[in-house]
Amino acid sequence: MAATSAGRIAGLCRQFQRCVSISPSFKLQQTEYCSSRCVSLSNRLSSFSPAVNSAQYRLFHTSQSRKGLEEFFDPPENWGETTVKSGAPWTAKQLRAKSNEDLHKLWYVLLKEKNMLLTTEQESKRQRLQMPGPERLKKVERSMTRLDSAVQEREGALRLLLTGQEKGRPGEWRRNVFGHVYWYRFREHPIPWHLNSRYRRKRFFTPEFVEPHMRLRLEKRIRSKVRKAQLEKQKEEKQAELFPKASAQTA
Amino acid sequence: MRNQDAVKTLKTTHTHKPYRYIMARRLIFPLYQYGNPQLRVFRPNWFLTLVRPGKEQPPDTVQFRVPLEMTKYDVRNYLQKIYEVPVAAVRTRIQFGSNKKRNHLNQRVKRPDYKVAYVQLAQEQTFEFPNIFPEKDAKATEGSVEEMQEKFMEDEKQRQKPDPRRGGVTEWFGL
Repeated sequence: MAATSAGRIAGLCRQFQRCVSISPSFKLQQTEYCSSRCVSLSNRLSSFSPAVNSAQYRLFHTSQSRKGLEEFFDPPENWGETTVKSGAPWTAKQLRAKSNEDLHKLWYVLLKEKNMLLTTEQESKRQRLQMPGPERLKKVERSMTRLDSAVQEREGALRLLLTGQEKGRPGEWRRNVFGHVYWYRFREHPIPWHLNSRYRRKRFFTPEFVEPHMRLRLEKRIRSKVRKAQLEKQKEEKQAELFPKASAQTA
Repeated sequence: MRNQDAVKTLKTTHTHKPYRYIMARRLIFPLYQYGNPQLRVFRPNWFLTLVRPGKEQPPDTVQFRVPLEMTKYDVRNYLQKIYEVPVAAVRTRIQFGSNKKRNHLNQRVKRPDYKVAYVQLAQEQTFEFPNIFPEKDAKATEGSVEEMQEKFMEDEKQRQKPDPRRGGVTEWFGL
């Protein structure tokens, strides 16, 4: 293939865009971070979208990547390089425009990419050489966290609509032995709580001898807050002394 | 897509499950009791690192660093479903990361623990860890700083060489 790697990646992005039939308002820019494994991905996607012309894919190899363990390494042209061209990470806005199936597939693309980068990083540490393109790791990580947040938003919205529950995992406000009130998240147990000896040892109430300590803690908190406010006030007074308003000159 | 799609389809219909099937690390899986459905993990958060073996391994063995929470079954399913690698056997061990080294404040610095998985491939496949950092003779571009630096280094090396007219005899010998 005479095309440069950058041109290939751009071509892959365009292929991906065509396969995935996104709404016209969203543009997949060429700076998108599509891994080279997008070849196999776009080919797999092409088997689903019937409107795609098979002649478009004659430039790329149409067999799915069957070499499993080869996917743990960079394509051989990146071996020994110091820099590798890679696009920008996925933003949350772009990910929210994708369908569930696309996000699911993208998760695995990113997962495989991250595995490859971790392998390269460990090997570079072993050989005491610089890893080609270390910034890719952060990009993939950020893309994955954003993808997860997009999916969580959708799940939360669905749950709220169907059941009215805000949180997926039930919980309640409880007070621990030290007097702190916190959100206790429930766990699954095979036996009821009154038969669970370890759970019973964990007291969710405050004994009365702890109350003086709670009071002292509260006083300390109030004192520190007041001290901070006084310090701020003193600073402002000093500033007012140095730069009084009466002598302010307007341009 | 592959036939294992049934395992990895995204749960779009809501069920009254208390936990979300998202992250696999740091997640409390639902309790299993007899008759419960098979646990499915969608969008696993586990990452495997292929490492070069420190000691000589048989040709069909591949060495991975896996998260501590992964089990042998998890490793096998992960490789078979996501990478389509036929796995015959998996053996794991936990490597303790040392807590002995101390920093400039004499505090002990802990290196993280990790789990090592030795995966034996099925169907008589072999795997050899490739050399990812081959020697590449990169010629610096014309007129760049690197080219000038290289030229300077070459000149210096030439200056350091002994007088060729002496025929390899060192300066130590007087004449």
